[in-house]
Amino acid sequence: MAEVRFDNVSKYYGHKPAVKNLTFTCKEGGFLSIVGPTGAGKSTILKMVAGIESISSGRIFFNDTVVNDLQPQDRNVSMAFETYNLYPHIKVYDNIAFPLRAKKWGFNLSEDEERAKVMEIAAFLGIDEYLDRLPQNLSGGQKQRVSLARALVRKPEVYLLDEPIAHLDARLKFSTQTLLKEFAQEYKSTIIYVTHDYREALALSDTIIVLKNGEVVQEGSPEEVYNYPKIPFVGKTIGEPPMNIIRGESIVSGEKVIFKAGSDLSFICNDDLAGKAFSLTQKSKEKVPLLAGIRSEYIAVGKEKISEYSFQLPVYAVTHESESSIITFKLENGTFIYARVGSEMESSYEVSDVVWLDFDQEKTFFYVDQKLDN
Amino acid sequence: MSRIDVNHVWKIYDGDVVGVRDLTFTCEDKEFLAILGPSGGGKSSTLRMLAGLEDITRGEVFFDGKIVNKMEPAERNIALAFESYALYQRLNVYENIAFPLRAKKKDRKEIDKKVNEIAELMNLGSILHKMPGGLAGGQQQRVSLARAFVRNPNLTLLDEPISHMDQRVRMELRARIRRLHDDLGLTTIYVTHDQSEATSLCDRLIVINRAQLQQIGTVNEIWNKPKNKFLASFVGEPTMNFLDAVIEDSKTVSVTQQDKKIIFPFSGELKNITAASAVEMGFRPQEVKIERKRINNKSAIHGIVKVVEFQGHLTILTIELYDLNRTEIKAVVEAHDKYKTDEEITVVINPEIIHLFSGEEPVLERKGFKEKK
Repeated sequence: MAEVRFDNVSKYYGHKPAVKNLTFTCKEGGFLSIVGPTGAGKSTILKMVAGIESISSGRIFFNDTVVNDLQPQDRNVSMAFETYNLYPHIKVYDNIAFPLRAKKWGFNLSEDEERAKVMEIAAFLGIDEYLDRLPQNLSGGQKQRVSLARALVRKPEVYLLDEPIAHLDARLKFSTQTLLKEFAQEYKSTIIYVTHDYREALALSDTIIVLKNGEVVQEGSPEEVYNYPKIPFVGKTIGEPPMNIIRGESIVSGEKVIFKAGSDLSFICNDDLAGKAFSLTQKSKEKVPLLAGIRSEYIAVGKEKISEYSFQLPVYAVTHESESSIITFKLENGTFIYARVGSEMESSYEVSDVVWLDFDQEKTFFYVDQKLDN
Repeated sequence: MSRIDVNHVWKIYDGDVVGVRDLTFTCEDKEFLAILGPSGGGKSSTLRMLAGLEDITRGEVFFDGKIVNKMEPAERNIALAFESYALYQRLNVYENIAFPLRAKKKDRKEIDKKVNEIAELMNLGSILHKMPGGLAGGQQQRVSLARAFVRNPNLTLLDEPISHMDQRVRMELRARIRRLHDDLGLTTIYVTHDQSEATSLCDRLIVINRAQLQQIGTVNEIWNKPKNKFLASFVGEPTMNFLDAVIEDSKTVSVTQQDKKIIFPFSGELKNITAASAVEMGFRPQEVKIERKRINNKSAIHGIVKVVEFQGHLTILTIELYDLNRTEIKAVVEAHDKYKTDEEITVVINPEIIHLFSGEEPVLERKGFKEKK
């Protein structure tokens, strides 16, 4: 399989950029996910790798070869589309076998060899009982697995998977996700994967690219992207609850630095966090607008004051997850704050109780307040 | 704002297709009840019968003790919000919300007060003059919910109003729905196939499958004392793990590993089962303990990590156990413990997390879990 490298690639429709100045590498055997909201340009990237979309500027390499001018059929990629694109008039078996029969790959398989390959991937994805059906007689989730099986049945230079499990119901989605990861590990496949679901990206990839309006805003391992979002947009796109982003200001008062949001939230910053604030602001200014970012699991909640950095808020709502509960707070300025607490704690909190919150300041970030970042 | 009683209700479609079989449950006044189940299991038929959109074949539905079987949907005073928002496209947000009140011929001042109150709760104050077509999906859904809630309904029926929304707004909508329910003292029945949504919001949960009620109870009850194996594996994500085991005596089961047996003590009382019977031992990925050192002990079985799936605040491991079947199980671990593929680990299955099933039937009366709420 190949390494795929983007070198300053842009795609314009007329004067409108769909994606801009993309530079990244998916290593041989690597699993790279592209995450971002609808319209960010995710699918455009896959289509350029496949050769279905032309490249306006920049170069795409497979290993050391520039593929810009290669036709799709000469690139040796294998693609699963969100819209399945199955051949409607032939059976599931033949849909999956189709890439094995294409002359250009020169498989020349006997009937038995072909059947073995089709059966293997179909059994792996749990669709072996549908092989004799026509696509029209399948549910959306079944069609999607057929489309995925067709993509995975042979080994190309790179697999291009566009939301390949988006239409499966929750349980099947999780199990298929695990299967995909096993497949990628076992066959050391190069995979470029597009999804709007951050959980798939975190679970599957070794590299994640977060896309916003056609530009890469962060590239890194799942842990990096989750734990160290470069901008609030990344923190909000990755994770549920999304990262808490609180618009406020840092205030220098005597020896201390205080973060304050509206009239109802304010806490003292420890020296490290004050340092983070100073690195973004000028020390001299008394008040500087900033965004504070913190993940829900790093906010402690208690009935008693937890530390000198604690502050109080009324509980807005309590909702539950299997191993934890989410306590929601709402600031006067309309901002929601989510805290994840262990489920053994949940029953002790009621709506409107005023409780203490305590941010783990090591896990708290400050961002320059660029309005409308999300 | 009513107590809802469903009494031996059946829905039989043309011929003899049973949509709902002998369903009986009560939704208390001001309760938040979620109906969860696989698609095609009977959830929607139930919802439609409550709403009056479908006839009840047999049995009765009562609102506050009054039978409503023959009442038109409009007479039942139900607020309905569906997954697709169906707003009136030619009315602005204010008029959409005011619509049910105008239909009831409320006076102008009262309508204005109510619309503003609910708009405030759903954070729609700044977009009241906008047309639905220009709104984002999350905003449209909030308008749809506001319109459902505005008229002090007897019952609020919500049909998957959040599951297809963007992850960035789902949590906020959940919190708002739960808060609105509490503030307005609503009686809410929430129908969904999405269990994280159901369990996050409800006071009690009803699980329906194959047209039949499987269990009704708090999430905690169903989680800890599922009435059958279907429920044990249906509620919880990742789903419960099962291992082939044999009853040793009234306190232990064994799992075979090549030439030896591993003994697992369990807590609780056996029922309807005798020693030497084959059972399935269930335990939840969220409750199992993983040790990186090799432990040779009761309750401990070794295995190898096959897949590591990072999920942000936690990580899900797929582990191949060294039992005779090489069973694959899942375990939820802290995200900061960085496990590697092919790492050998010990799985510790403590007595209090064990479930035992013979076929569909639970054969262990579990004790000692604390009841929440």
